[in-house]
Amino acid sequence: MSNSRNSRRTQQWRDTTIPRRPLLWLAAALLFTLPALLGTLASWVPFLFLFALVLKFWMEPRGYRLRSTSLKLILMALTLGAIFLSYNTLKGIEPAVSLLTVLVSLKILEAHTAREFQVMVTMAWVLCLCGFLLSQDLAIAFCLFVAFALLIAALVQFHRGSSPGAFWLPLATTLKLVAQAAPVVVLLFLLFPRINTGFQFRIGDLHAAMTGFSDRLSPGGIEMLANSSDIAFRAEFPDRRTRPAGPMYWRGLVMWHCEGLEWRAPYAPASISDSSRQYPASDKAIRQRITIAPHGARWMFALDRPFGIPSGAMLARGNYLYSVQPIRKSRRYEVLSSTDPIGKELGARERREALQLPASISPAVRELAGSLAARNSGPRATVASALQFFRTQGFRYSLSPGEYNKNDLDEFLFRRRTGFCEHYAASFATLMRLAGIPARVVVGYLGGEYNDLGGFFLVRQADTHAWCEVWIPENGWTRIDPTTAVAPDRASLDLSSFLAGRIASGEMATGRTAFVTQLARLPLVNQIRLIWEALNYQWDTRVLAFDADVQDVLLTSLGLTNSGPFPLVMQVLIVVSALLIIYAGWMQLQTRPRADRIQALYERYCQKLARIGVQRDPWEGPSDFAKRAAQSLPNASECVRQITETYIALRYAPGPTAISLDKFAKEIDAVTAHR
Amino acid sequence: METMFAQPIIPADDSSVTDDVDAFVKQICEVIVGKNHAVKLAVACLLARGHLLIEDIPGVGKTTLSQALARSLALAFQRIQFTSDLLPADILGNSIFDRDEQRFVFHRGPLFSQVVLIDEVNRATPKTQSALLEAMEEHHISIDGVTYELPEPFFVVATQNPQTAVGTFPLPESQLDRFLMRIELGVPERASERAMLLGMDRREMLKELKPVISPRTLIEIQDNVRKVHASAALLDYLQDLLDASRQRHNPGLSPRAGLALLHASQAWALMNGRDMVLPEDIQAIGITVMGHRLGHDIEQPGQSGRTLADNLLHSVPVP
Repeated sequence: MSNSRNSRRTQQWRDTTIPRRPLLWLAAALLFTLPALLGTLASWVPFLFLFALVLKFWMEPRGYRLRSTSLKLILMALTLGAIFLSYNTLKGIEPAVSLLTVLVSLKILEAHTAREFQVMVTMAWVLCLCGFLLSQDLAIAFCLFVAFALLIAALVQFHRGSSPGAFWLPLATTLKLVAQAAPVVVLLFLLFPRINTGFQFRIGDLHAAMTGFSDRLSPGGIEMLANSSDIAFRAEFPDRRTRPAGPMYWRGLVMWHCEGLEWRAPYAPASISDSSRQYPASDKAIRQRITIAPHGARWMFALDRPFGIPSGAMLARGNYLYSVQPIRKSRRYEVLSSTDPIGKELGARERREALQLPASISPAVRELAGSLAARNSGPRATVASALQFFRTQGFRYSLSPGEYNKNDLDEFLFRRRTGFCEHYAASFATLMRLAGIPARVVVGYLGGEYNDLGGFFLVRQADTHAWCEVWIPENGWTRIDPTTAVAPDRASLDLSSFLAGRIASGEMATGRTAFVTQLARLPLVNQIRLIWEALNYQWDTRVLAFDADVQDVLLTSLGLTNSGPFPLVMQVLIVVSALLIIYAGWMQLQTRPRADRIQALYERYCQKLARIGVQRDPWEGPSDFAKRAAQSLPNASECVRQITETYIALRYAPGPTAISLDKFAKEIDAVTAHR
Repeated sequence: METMFAQPIIPADDSSVTDDVDAFVKQICEVIVGKNHAVKLAVACLLARGHLLIEDIPGVGKTTLSQALARSLALAFQRIQFTSDLLPADILGNSIFDRDEQRFVFHRGPLFSQVVLIDEVNRATPKTQSALLEAMEEHHISIDGVTYELPEPFFVVATQNPQTAVGTFPLPESQLDRFLMRIELGVPERASERAMLLGMDRREMLKELKPVISPRTLIEIQDNVRKVHASAALLDYLQDLLDASRQRHNPGLSPRAGLALLHASQAWALMNGRDMVLPEDIQAIGITVMGHRLGHDIEQPGQSGRTLADNLLHSVPVP
């Protein structure tokens, strides 16, 4: 009695194990989900995750696993506590994703049945989804796609059981499945209604202090950006011939408020009314299509002086684009610009603002400004002599000029004389204002790297630049870039290549290792980088930018009027199911057994002969029939012989034949010609 | 069936095989004049490792045919005349007490041979007939708890008079099923008969026959027969035939009959120089393979098996 009870107990406690190969596939898939989550997870979570994976491979062959319920509860409580300590909360997306990852890690240690394997695969799929929720970057998408495929492979391998098979067999099945699903995916992508519920994950807020400059130009601010290779925006010139000849100054925002070496833009800029806007001659307009990366602020970029305003934006005072909504997701717009100086008349209020000065300006600086103005009569001459001052007084361009405070104008102008574009722009504009010339600082980007493959300019955060605009009565606002007075190369190159040149000539020491710089200069590496960037651009502009508006345009062009989400869903369902039925029918036709097609062709041949007068009896074999047909149709005997030979070879001969069905069909088509 | 094509559609791997078989058929045809088709069928039966039943009235050359087969093959030949008082021990063998060795010694009967001609098989009692069963199917004999293997190849040719003849015991169905084919020779045509009347004495001719195929070659050919390709389409046709017979007749064809059809048609295809079976091959051997198996339809007692088989072949469509 006790014996049988024991055996039942052992039966109950006998563990199943998950075979090694499916586990390998699953582990690989989980590893590929990790990059997407890495930025979001608490720093210790990835280590726990990897540790759990490694531990599983150690435990599984030995039959160890997480069994005790109390141990599981303790681990659960510990990890929950750790997540709470890491975030100080359990609410929100970041703790949730961390929690999910931790749960998956613990599940890995616990799982050992077929059902739990399925659960793990499902959870891995949820992780994939989370990854997409967090980032839609092309590299991340690629990783997640690989993870997705590996999960299918894991399932295929798992259901294959212990049956032997080459390592690539599940992969081949997976690829086939993915290829079969691809048309449906494309259809769903194009047609699935993107219903705007107003509900939005505020994931953008997570990456607080997003990339890009701020509305405050303080000494050292741009220096931080100079080493960032993040993408600011990408620009295309749809009319290639109107690409500007000179350096490309991308206007970001205009700063009016001066505090010496620090400048500020108005928090809520006033817009330029339609009537006071100036439209240059249309042949001088440069059309740009710009795909802006999310930066959390509201300014938008355009070449020099934009005048055509994209929807959802306004033209702020100072002639720069200002978005109605903060830019939290990638956005694409078209804008027209002119490179000519702009402005007819300076209003009294604007003049006052453009001449505003802080009280803390030292007498020495005032004296310098006075001397620049006194020596010359007109504003042009004053500008020229100020530039001359920068050029001749031993100013140096350096990315690491040391720290300045916002009141360190004297320090910069008279002592250290080393700085960056922001120092030059700020001090120059301040000097101009002291000399009585209205001036403002413009912050934006200079240059950009042209991508041959994609046909677009890529502008990085490292291309951030600051320059000035001064009011010259007969011209209007005229761009003056004092940095070029000090470093003439800067305007013609993008910042990184300019700096690379400086490093190469030994003029600059930088933290950047020479190795990386050298590597980036290899043609092959450069080519791959360009291809990758072009791909990224396509991904951003064609896939990610396909939102409700673009879909609306597409649907309208297809003749599907968008009359609310419900009819749209219905229409789409009808279209999709119709397409699926057609697809299924086509597949059915394609996969019809070869034997059936041979038979159908042979029957066609028999019908043809019957029309000529030789009817095949249903029980008559092909060879007998051929004999009879050849006797009553001597003219066609050769043709009959050939067809019968082919038919017999196709239908009765051993092994695969090289005879193609098309050839057979052609022979049969030729039958009537013989009559 | 003669193929209409000058060249075989797909030549068999080894043309010497068909040459051997052709020579074999030719030699027998010289003895049995004007019965080419029946001779070819008999040879096909031999190549398919089946046993042959020849049914006809006396005096049409049944015995001559079986003797010609045996002599042309250089195989050990035995002839057993079945009579109503024949006992199983007479054909299988007896255990006789050997006084010198003080034990029973088994004396092998006439069945221990390679070609066994059983004349007038339906004259013997069912008891003796059934003694043949094990030997024909299993190629061995069990007596007194000892199993004796029969030599290979082993080929039974049985002749019988039509069952209407007086003093016969009709073969039971189980035994009929063990014969691969039942052929009829029939009365020769006038010209053939004249040739026979003018020609040599048949008994002299039999004596002068030289072996054409060695036993080893025969086994090789028999192995090759099983390798002849039967495509899925052909098996479909074969199974359609079996299904149709089961629907129309009671009982229909057995699975063993299906195997018999396949093997016989494979042999027929090989003899015609093909490495694949065509529906025409099944039709060529169909009547001889199915006829004796369908002759016992309890619902259609008047119909001869040959007619039923012929009807089947002329109604089941070739898929």
